[in-house]
Amino acid sequence: MSESSYTRVPVLQRQLRDFGVGAILAILIATIAFVAVRNTELAARQIGLAKRAALALANRQAPVPTVQTVLVSAPVASKKHAYLHQRQIKTSLQPQWLPLVADPDRPEHKLYYDAANRFDRDHVLAELMRDGTGRAVAAELACDMKQTTECPIAIAITAPARPAPYPFLVLIGVLGLGAAIAAAGALVSRRAARVGLFAGIAALAVPTMLWHAWIGTTAILIVAASFALAQRALLTDRIARSLHEHRTAFAFLAPAGVSMFVLVAAPFVIGLFMGFYEHRSGTWQFVGLHNFLEILSGGGRELDDPLNFWFTLGVTVLWTLANVVLHVTIGIALALVLSKKWLRGRGVWRMLLILPWAIPNYITALMWKGMFDKQFGALNQLFDYVGLDSVSWFTTWANSFGPNVATNTWLGFPFMMVVAIGALETIPRELYEAASVDGASRWQQFRHITLPHLRPALGPAVALGSIWTFNMFNVIFLVSGGKPNNSTNILVTDAYRWAFERGERYGMAAAYGTVIFLILLLWTVFGTRIVRRKEAT
Amino acid sequence: MSEGTARTRGPHIAKQLIVYASLIVICAVVLYPVLLVCKKAFEPGRHFALSPSPIPKDVTLDHFRDLFGSRGSHGELLFLRHTLNSVVVALSTTIVGVVLSCTAAYALSRFRFPGRAAGLTSFLVVQMFPATLLLLPLYVILDKLGLLNSLVGLVLVYSTTAIPFCVWTLKGYFDTLPRELEEAARIDGASQWMIFRKIILPLTRPGIAVTALFSFMTAWNEFIMASTFMTDESKYTLPVLIQSSVGQFSSDWGLFAAGAIVTSVPVMVAFYVLQKYLVGGLTAGAVKG
Repeated sequence: MSESSYTRVPVLQRQLRDFGVGAILAILIATIAFVAVRNTELAARQIGLAKRAALALANRQAPVPTVQTVLVSAPVASKKHAYLHQRQIKTSLQPQWLPLVADPDRPEHKLYYDAANRFDRDHVLAELMRDGTGRAVAAELACDMKQTTECPIAIAITAPARPAPYPFLVLIGVLGLGAAIAAAGALVSRRAARVGLFAGIAALAVPTMLWHAWIGTTAILIVAASFALAQRALLTDRIARSLHEHRTAFAFLAPAGVSMFVLVAAPFVIGLFMGFYEHRSGTWQFVGLHNFLEILSGGGRELDDPLNFWFTLGVTVLWTLANVVLHVTIGIALALVLSKKWLRGRGVWRMLLILPWAIPNYITALMWKGMFDKQFGALNQLFDYVGLDSVSWFTTWANSFGPNVATNTWLGFPFMMVVAIGALETIPRELYEAASVDGASRWQQFRHITLPHLRPALGPAVALGSIWTFNMFNVIFLVSGGKPNNSTNILVTDAYRWAFERGERYGMAAAYGTVIFLILLLWTVFGTRIVRRKEAT
Repeated sequence: MSEGTARTRGPHIAKQLIVYASLIVICAVVLYPVLLVCKKAFEPGRHFALSPSPIPKDVTLDHFRDLFGSRGSHGELLFLRHTLNSVVVALSTTIVGVVLSCTAAYALSRFRFPGRAAGLTSFLVVQMFPATLLLLPLYVILDKLGLLNSLVGLVLVYSTTAIPFCVWTLKGYFDTLPRELEEAARIDGASQWMIFRKIILPLTRPGIAVTALFSFMTAWNEFIMASTFMTDESKYTLPVLIQSSVGQFSSDWGLFAAGAIVTSVPVMVAFYVLQKYLVGGLTAGAVKG
């Protein structure tokens, strides 16, 4: 049987087809590896150069070529205006101290000034500049024996560096070599074809090996091995045949599929990997599971500390639960009222009640934030009007969480209402008539006719709604902003703060993203299972 | 029989009054914040006035004048520029999103092929990864593609955020269309693409309208990505402008209110035009299962 399917497709054509697909994957991996290695190598080299040059100047050794070095003094009070602190600069071209001032002809002065300030603050400075020029800056203390005042700072800035160009020729060469090996194997025998396929794709691992990109090399070898094994199990043939058979379906699916892959799946995978790295001032370091352990252990914080993951998770669950319950109850109640045949002006009521859905949610959030303003907010004025004490909103957990929930309930119930109206329209009236003939009470009718008919439509809506609420960034971020003291943050806003407000801990933020994703995945898998079991009974 | 006539006439008058009264209360709660914003838009001053009444005392068009007249660092008219950006981005997102999700949803609804179930699930699963955390990887990818600070990049990102929900909605819609139509057309010799374009698409108009509305809203309402990816002030979209008008350091609620009205009105109009499709469009697939 295997003999016949082997000969069905011409041997060489099949081998080149398999090699082609494998090679595309391998080249993709090699390109990613190249970009990653090239950048880290470049950064390490430039930073090393800058460090060496700064140290050389501080120790009065021979300067490092191509690197600009200057001495910048500690800030001293200006003679004319004592409140102004000034730094002075000395370069190899101009051996006396001159004031370091902003000079449009010498834009590098600003770089020196900023570097000196940062060095004073952090006591170390050696990093790649973030202006995309590939320059590195480093600083060292340059103390002198006879120095009486504070030590000046030696600052070095390397020349700009472009990363190495993409090695087209190397890759084309290896590609040709690999294709030749694969073709040769196919012409010898069936077993040799598999070996040739492996060797041909593995040839593309040679350049990554030379770049010391070990992860990339391993990935390419795995691709090569799995293609050889797949060919052996006739899997490549089967996939090719299936692609051909269902070509219309795949053609219809391809545009959305490809764009989703590039702009959703790829960032998603990159995000998953970022969780295993720690980001500090522009450099990434592999830390394994450290971020995840820090999250799950609460980072050594007490359980009632808002930065503890479990605290935030608790708030998030409470937030989701409160909102979904309110959305669904209000939505169903209004839908039931609006589908009463005797109600006048049903269209108008529905139009008014859909309104919150039509308003952009960031505007709703800001609008409610304005209403909760302590001094000018409408709510405190209403309280005042009816003789209640005004409330200092956003000062305790409860009076920040409340406004968040109120805002989100206001903007979220119309969706559930519309879904419920749609589902109610599909219930045949005869069912109710038959039930009331049999003497069923209103509650029994609701329980045994209405609810079961609502479930198929509301089930997915609730699943989707809970995911949206769980990840509802805008409302939390704009209404309470996590106040007071981060205690009303939910997981997404907390993750955002780890990335952008707590020292650019991108790795930590990405690990949070992964954890959020896993929680939601578990919730949908088990949630839908529970719903299904209920339907079955 | 008497039960049937009672149903059309409605319950006791007192009960009806209670229903109407509670509807009025709920509508008041829904409308009050909106009215406050409208009031603020026409009332002078940067802050809300110290009165809970939703009717302004003085009426002025200053806030709208400020909004339309705001100028950027090069003297260009910022608001008009941002409006143009938003319109271009939102319309392109709608077109790209609807075209891509129509074909994908049709394939998922009509064809049986290996990987179909996995495809459907993955369209659902990608909604779970918080969009705000795709920011960093997307930033890197757009940077590599040279699409940072460009409206094209924003359109691509927004379309892919909108597609999963649109695919699910449209698939539900396609599922409700009878297959006999296509079979008849196939016997008459129509190609798959012909069937899709000439028979299926015209029948799906309500579903497409709803999908288009959601794609449009995705792009029209987003501010975090827009403010991260766009570094050039002239490339900002409306939400970035409006959100920054009540920022941390200075808040001008008058400007915010005027901007909020100008931004919300197009979406509201679209909502009311498409309202009748909304009810059927969202539940079509779900009810069928």
